[in-house]
Amino acid sequence: MPKHNVVFLPSERKISVDEEENLLQAAMEAGIHINASCGGSATCGKCKVKIVKGAVDSPKHPKLTQWEYDQGFRLACLTPIRDDIDVEIPIESQVDRSVLALKGDREAHKYLLSPQDIYQLVKGWDVDPAVFKRYVELEPPSLKNNASDLTRLINALDRQHGIEGISADFRVIMKLSRILRESDWKVTATLVLTKKGYKLVNVEPGDNTHQNYSIVLDIGTTTIFGQLLDLNGCVVYACPGGLCDGSTLFALAEASDYNAQISYGEDVITRIVYSQRPGGLKKLQEVVVSTINKIIQELLQMSKIDRSLISHLVIAGNTTMTQLLLRLDPKYIREAPYVPTANFIPPVRAVHLGINIGDHVHVYIFPMVASYVGGDIVAGILGSGVFQRETLTLYMDIGTNGEIVLGNKDWLASVSCSAGPAFEGAGVKFGMRATRGAIEEVSINPRTYEPMILTIGRTKPIGICGSGLIDSVAEFLEAGMIDQNGKFRRDLSTDRVRMGPDGYEYVLARKEETLIHEDIVLTEIDIENLIRTKAAIYAGCKVLLSSVGLDFKDLEQVIIAGGFGRHLDLEKAIFIGLLPEIDIEKFIFVGNGSLLGARLLSFSKNLLKETERIALMMTNLELSNHPTFMGEFIGAMFLPHTDVSAFPKVMERLYRMKREVQSERTVEGQL
Amino acid sequence: MAFEIPKVTYTGKIREVTLGKGPKAVTVGGETSYPFHLFEGAMPHPPRIAMEVYDTPPEEWPEAALEPFKDVAKDPVAWAKKCVQSYGAELIALQLVSTDPNGLNRSSDEAAQTAKKVASAVDVPVIVWGSGNADKDADVLRKVAETCDGMNLVIGPVVEGNYKQVGAGAIAYKHTAIASTPIDINLAKQLNILLGNLGVPDGQIIVDPTTGGLGYGIEYTYSVMERDRMAALTQQDERLQFPILCNMAKEIWKTKEAKTKTEDAPTLGDAKKRGILLEAVTAVVLLLAGADVLVMRHPEAIKLVREMIADFTAK
Repeated sequence: MPKHNVVFLPSERKISVDEEENLLQAAMEAGIHINASCGGSATCGKCKVKIVKGAVDSPKHPKLTQWEYDQGFRLACLTPIRDDIDVEIPIESQVDRSVLALKGDREAHKYLLSPQDIYQLVKGWDVDPAVFKRYVELEPPSLKNNASDLTRLINALDRQHGIEGISADFRVIMKLSRILRESDWKVTATLVLTKKGYKLVNVEPGDNTHQNYSIVLDIGTTTIFGQLLDLNGCVVYACPGGLCDGSTLFALAEASDYNAQISYGEDVITRIVYSQRPGGLKKLQEVVVSTINKIIQELLQMSKIDRSLISHLVIAGNTTMTQLLLRLDPKYIREAPYVPTANFIPPVRAVHLGINIGDHVHVYIFPMVASYVGGDIVAGILGSGVFQRETLTLYMDIGTNGEIVLGNKDWLASVSCSAGPAFEGAGVKFGMRATRGAIEEVSINPRTYEPMILTIGRTKPIGICGSGLIDSVAEFLEAGMIDQNGKFRRDLSTDRVRMGPDGYEYVLARKEETLIHEDIVLTEIDIENLIRTKAAIYAGCKVLLSSVGLDFKDLEQVIIAGGFGRHLDLEKAIFIGLLPEIDIEKFIFVGNGSLLGARLLSFSKNLLKETERIALMMTNLELSNHPTFMGEFIGAMFLPHTDVSAFPKVMERLYRMKREVQSERTVEGQL
Repeated sequence: MAFEIPKVTYTGKIREVTLGKGPKAVTVGGETSYPFHLFEGAMPHPPRIAMEVYDTPPEEWPEAALEPFKDVAKDPVAWAKKCVQSYGAELIALQLVSTDPNGLNRSSDEAAQTAKKVASAVDVPVIVWGSGNADKDADVLRKVAETCDGMNLVIGPVVEGNYKQVGAGAIAYKHTAIASTPIDINLAKQLNILLGNLGVPDGQIIVDPTTGGLGYGIEYTYSVMERDRMAALTQQDERLQFPILCNMAKEIWKTKEAKTKTEDAPTLGDAKKRGILLEAVTAVVLLLAGADVLVMRHPEAIKLVREMIADFTAK
């Protein structure tokens, strides 16, 4: 794809971007602040910039006068980049150059990470799904050859495809004779590889081999994610007409929803407690299945694929979520010595769980390690390729339970800490999942405190997702709007920081600029929740490392997984102390790690053994009775951290920023 | 070869903080070693003892504690003077218990006037301690700071919930702030950072780690203070290099052991002696952990501890 250089004036900061990249997005990536409060939906008209060199063909907008348009003014959010251009930032958006100089040099490093996929992360696997389809043409029976219908089919599969040792599911036998005859003895057989050999699970008339799909699900405590996979193409199914250009969403068949169990408790412990009430377990099982069915429905609608063409389900979830889905009493997960019912679950028929899908479909459930280290983390280790490499890797899955794994191909150690759902948008006043309308990137002018916000899908904002939260708090801190304990300064000369019903808050978007006709704010309570979440994760990593005699600086690679957004801004995640201050080249972001592993397993049955090996090799460390965890946690409940020596660069920037902004204020005061 | 005592190498130093003003001002801190490890470093200023004065007649004090102050219990000014003149108090700690919104709920103005009268009546430094209700203290201590402008008081407890209001008062009217946190080294450090960010000069911060009485969790305080000093002196943790103040007397004299009368528990011995010893032993424990200022009550306990400090610091 052709690249273009964009120079922002007067700072002369340069960035090289792909053709068609949106100018406002490019500015955000370059660390250039341009006031924008409508999320990039071309309604507020604030992101007015002047193109001084190069050509653009962005449309005229009612917020621009004809004179301005003729002079070269354009709205950045409406401008795709198709040429090398020089852009002048309007005076009201400009940040003092000395202040800007303190911001990270975004050109030298890639701070904004997009998720990497299994194709880059895991090596040496073949496309060979455990569930596959084969087309066979049978010779019709005659008096000479009067073998039974089933034998005929099994023999044909052996002869034409070399598949031996097939056993048949009774349900197939029930419809076999009819289908064979209706289809003139030309059928497609669906087979699944199990520990006991191949099993014939479905027969369809005609050649249907090009249509083989599976669904993978990540059952989180707060959020459930699903994807529909095209097993033949070895990709997430691309929705018809979907484009992946930042403004059109739903390019792929992906869906997510809050786990309906949330109404019965926000964390696993309260869910387990609820399950002990009469009828509680049944209720929890039913509601999680209702969410799963909704997601499957949505996936089928998006992809316009018939329900009957789905042949496999792969599910990864934490131990409690898995047991609740299977209606296995989770009581002993919560009681010392914390034992799950089973780590390895044999294939279950989906319809038996109440999942609305073809009755031949089996569910593969990722094996678990311990009561608080589940199949989701095993899937993450699989999908991120940690199990293949020598590299000493820290894998962090940032969810409601923060699960952290340390190791490489030879050894794995894990901890799990209750982090809270802030990054998934729960427990935050205007929090939401990373879907259309979520504020995903935020920059704040340290002089005027005006925001620049970008939303997913470039629509008017509806709420804020995890990545937007990380950005906001980092920007608040850098601009000196909050102190290191996350509390707003009361003396700022802006009406965006104000006393609200829940204490002090910052107005990210005013109601006329939002889709919900309400001011979207971030409150001190939201910030407190975020700090608690990031503190639990950081402390978990610290304790895990020190218990094997290592430190952050020993790490060769850090893989971050979590459903907080489409991107992760490393610089900002380090700034708030969610991630350690180490060489940024060591970080990899994988998005939803559990889905990644589930996807890989769905594509390649050879990895079943690897998956089991991962689950068996992982050693779990219990944090609930760990002597130093609580101290580390309290230490991390500060921005970036109480131990400032662990974040020297962040502190340096904070001090210099404070000095610059203060001196600027003094100068203004004298004028 | 002669035996040599193994020595700790220190890299840090506790900041010196001067409390009060004039000839009776006291400077605390300045240590370059663990408490009383004079063979390893210096302790340029010995620990000091502040004597308690209440702004309202105490109701629940055991007889032994009240006895020396019976004649002055209704008048904080006279009480303070008696402490200085009769018992040689080096500091006064005025406890503004009457401002407690769950008790007498006296107004901030009234409390500020009391503080001003007491501070004007004595020439030693005065510590002013609020009710411990963060919201009320925000107002009370701010008023005290303002009303006693220039008197160099020591005001607290300054907690995370009110550090901005009280800290601003300490900056504007030049008082020392007592940064108070609930027995946790990280929280202590965080509050010190926040006060610094707010602009409170380092020379105007003293730390209260929160203490229990002997037998009531003092080991927690001890180990937090110990870790505090280790970080400050051997790990150069700048935001922990502050002198420590322990408001301990009220913790001792409210315990069952200090309150039980002789006749109710003859096996526990004489009530007066028991209370005094409990207070003195608590004080010694805290001194060994690193306290620079102790808030104490009974003159005889104070006398014992002074002798102990003299012994410990003898050259």
